[in-house]
Amino acid sequence: MEKREKRVDGFRFIPPGLRAWIRTSIPEEDFKGYIPWTPTTKPLSQMTIALVTSAGISLKSDSPFDTEREKKEPFWGDRSYRIIPRATTEKDIHVNHLHINTTYIEQDINVMLPLARMAEFELEGIIGHLAPKACSFYGFQYQSTDFLKEAIEPISIQMKLEKADAVLLTPA
Amino acid sequence: MEEAGFSTVVLTPTHEFHRVVGIPRSAAIEYPYGRPVGQVGDQEGQRQVLLEALSLLEKARKPGEVYHLPFTWPEEPKKTNWQPPEISPIVKLQLDDIKKARQLGNEKA
Repeated sequence: MEKREKRVDGFRFIPPGLRAWIRTSIPEEDFKGYIPWTPTTKPLSQMTIALVTSAGISLKSDSPFDTEREKKEPFWGDRSYRIIPRATTEKDIHVNHLHINTTYIEQDINVMLPLARMAEFELEGIIGHLAPKACSFYGFQYQSTDFLKEAIEPISIQMKLEKADAVLLTPA
Repeated sequence: MEEAGFSTVVLTPTHEFHRVVGIPRSAAIEYPYGRPVGQVGDQEGQRQVLLEALSLLEKARKPGEVYHLPFTWPEEPKKTNWQPPEISPIVKLQLDDIKKARQLGNEKA
């Protein structure tokens, strides 16, 4: 446990004004409500793991996430999702996201959606399998109920088809 | 997703959001937005972060725990250039509130 000493400051990279503003909407105390929980039943080396990201990644052959409407309606965020096959590389994708600099993901998809790294872990027997398909949605969502219905429910169904035991989520 | 029967782990750059929504397993990483796994082309560094995050699937025993990953980003925050080239629509809209929040923060400090 010697490595657990670091206390991560999640606001370190956010400029002061934005940091202060975001902090006004985050309570000081831990979440007290119900948190859903599915315990794991097998070791990592036998799990099938699926990747899901909120980075707005789409295949070039697919339609990109809609950022134009958000420019006109700042509280609106695209609620659709995209399937990303596991062999996808940075050469195959568009990244549309108005809240981050997307160029790094376009240079190396693994900084956000680590498909190549997980494929290595599969080959090395560290994980059981990487699921055949990953999913990307768009991480700016104010209307979360609609979003859960329109994106997360179908993504969950997709993950079931992939026979995933666990999901690694990488928010942008 | 947990309700649908999956165990999930979130590799999160801002673990503090967990206080608002409640997240089953959080692996907190002090990396800039858009690159939670690591730097471009840093295969070994990306592997280390992922191995630590995935280890939560075996280690975490109850919902809501936050594990703080031990990694440090090699650049100063101002040099990371993680922000979008154009100010985002919501931030643009809320700019007055953001300035007020900053002022209030300065006064408190």
